[in-house]
Amino acid sequence: MMLLKIAWRNIWRSKTRSAVVIFAIASGLVGGLFASAWMNGMAQQRVVNTFSIETAHIQLHNPKFAENFDVKKTILSTEEKLKEISKIEGVKAVTSRLIISAMAATANKNMGVTVVGIHPKTEKEVFGLYKKIDTANGNFFISKKKNAIVISKALAKELKVRLKSKIILTFQDYNGEITGAAFKVIGIFKTDNSPWDKSHVFVKDIDLRKVLEITKGQSHEIDILLNDYTQASLISSDIKNIYPELLSEDWSEIQPYLSFITEYMDIMMGVFMLIILGALGFGIVNTMLMVILERTKELGMLMAIGMNKKRIFLMIMLETILLALVGAFVGEIISMFLIKYFGRVGINISSLAEGMESVGYSAISYPVLEPYRYIQITILVILTGIIASIYPAIKALKLNPSESIRTL
Amino acid sequence: MSVIQVKNLTKIYSETEVPVHAVNGIDISFDKGEFAAIVGPSGSGKTTLLNMIGGLEHPTSGSVLVNGKDISELSSSKLIDFRLYNIGFVFQAYNLIPVLTAKENVEFIMQLQNWDKTKMDKRTIGILESVGLGDRINSKPNQLSGGQQQRVAVARALASKPQFILADEPTANLDSKSTNQLLEIMEKLNKEENITFIFSTHDQRVVDKARRVITIDDGKVVSDIVKKV
Ligand SMILES: Nc1ncnc2c1ncn2[C@@H]1O[C@H](COP(=O)(O)OP(=O)(O)OP(=O)(O)O)[C@@H](O)[C@H]1O
Ligand SMILES: [Mg+2]
Repeated sequence: MMLLKIAWRNIWRSKTRSAVVIFAIASGLVGGLFASAWMNGMAQQRVVNTFSIETAHIQLHNPKFAENFDVKKTILSTEEKLKEISKIEGVKAVTSRLIISAMAATANKNMGVTVVGIHPKTEKEVFGLYKKIDTANGNFFISKKKNAIVISKALAKELKVRLKSKIILTFQDYNGEITGAAFKVIGIFKTDNSPWDKSHVFVKDIDLRKVLEITKGQSHEIDILLNDYTQASLISSDIKNIYPELLSEDWSEIQPYLSFITEYMDIMMGVFMLIILGALGFGIVNTMLMVILERTKELGMLMAIGMNKKRIFLMIMLETILLALVGAFVGEIISMFLIKYFGRVGINISSLAEGMESVGYSAISYPVLEPYRYIQITILVILTGIIASIYPAIKALKLNPSESIRTL
Repeated sequence: MSVIQVKNLTKIYSETEVPVHAVNGIDISFDKGEFAAIVGPSGSGKTTLLNMIGGLEHPTSGSVLVNGKDISELSSSKLIDFRLYNIGFVFQAYNLIPVLTAKENVEFIMQLQNWDKTKMDKRTIGILESVGLGDRINSKPNQLSGGQQQRVAVARALASKPQFILADEPTANLDSKSTNQLLEIMEKLNKEENITFIFSTHDQRVVDKARRVITIDDGKVVSDIVKKV
């Protein structure tokens, strides 16, 4: 207790020097934490976007369909299954889709696309694509009109079409015959992932079903949204037990890179913080060596009157840790405010956005940092303090009390 | 039995070009309750002798027995503990921990010895009052005069009731008024607490107060006078 008191008061003996060290630690942490939060925010958005646009949390397929998108490999009795699944604990919403590869053709161009046949009502409960259509660009199947299609801005540009333009979709139907139909563009969306945008078009289930001659009850995909995405693998294996004939995959199986993103960000943040703390550590060592040099006489006196090496060591270590902690505290408070603020207003990097979107990240990102990160960083700072104090403390112990006393 | 017995004590500094015989075969002993001054010209070996008695320096040869125990055989870390529990020190300057108040400084050694809080409080206040600083217990060293700082140092040295107190030129930085005050306090405490005081000095007024005066020159005792009471 007394050592703690001395250590704490010792920090404030040289106010300017301590202030400089505290400022250095604080700015290092602000930089590190803010950058981490930024990267983390981008990664999380990427993950959440992927759930909302591409994968949902769990998908069911006929195992054979998953192999080569064969129109005939369907899920049977879809309606009953949807009903049953929606009753499973933790399931928030569920919908089914028809999926088929097609050629999209206009007067100008032909392009290969994946046509997704959806039920507008339940689709909107599971997926958020409808939010990616701004008011000037139509809507996501609000009207009951037949043979409507929603495509992306990127595809519209390629095909040189606008709202109300017609697109001819050609595909093999259920019986293997080539068939096609004209669809009218009623909505144009834009997500952060341009390659995906170009290859997906959306039509209503009933329209597509008619063209493909698929009977009621059959579908290609069931998409499930959960209350908590971390439960996906658990619930997915439950579903596997209920429908052993189907292939049930959670988001990490559908898009394995999603779990890599989070892990990768963790590693990046770790490396980043280690570099910053390492640099700060050297600064702290230097400061503490100066402190020891200045207090040679005092330390000699303390040893002379009976303060043993363990206590001297502890006192210096405590002083170092406290100094580092004050810096960390200041830095964490500032970081918390910055991250809160920018987490609300977002950081816009639209000048770089085109490049970012071609790899699936948004132009505006919202930094976030989980509370446990602050605890983690505090522990790391304490460790840095401990390590940084070792060398100065050893130097202090090498002092010879009688010599420092003599030079009084 | 004597508290301190110094036998044929020698200290030779040989790192220098010509080896220096700072202490050159001193035999001397101190009884409990003595109030003894070590005097001698500059460089005569007073500090070296006190440092060896206090276990701050290892003798080249000879021994220092404290209550019959030879401290020159102790390892340096054992010596720290020995000093903590047996010896009170007062130096010429830099005695106090600048970030602690007078009271905290006096408590310091008792804290290291893990004294009970109420006992320690009582002792600290009592001793600060007897050095005349009862009203300055919460002052930091830089708020005290040199003489007051030395009185706090004496209080700290005494508070934990050591076997004896070593003071190397405790009054060297003080004016005559403070010197007198400090000596009176040391004398009073020496009587009240029956604690052995050994101090070195250049100052004739300090010598006058001592009940025993040991004069050394060139590392040797040249006279050892016990005054009659
Ligand atoms: N570390 C050392 N290395 C070499 N010589 C030393 C060392 N310490 C002291 N001496 C020498 O030993 C002798 C005795 O020194 P000491 O400090 O004991 O004298 P002193 O009586 O205390 O003097 P003063 O009255 O000036 O304090 C001196 O000649 C001094 O130069
Ligand atoms: Mg001296």
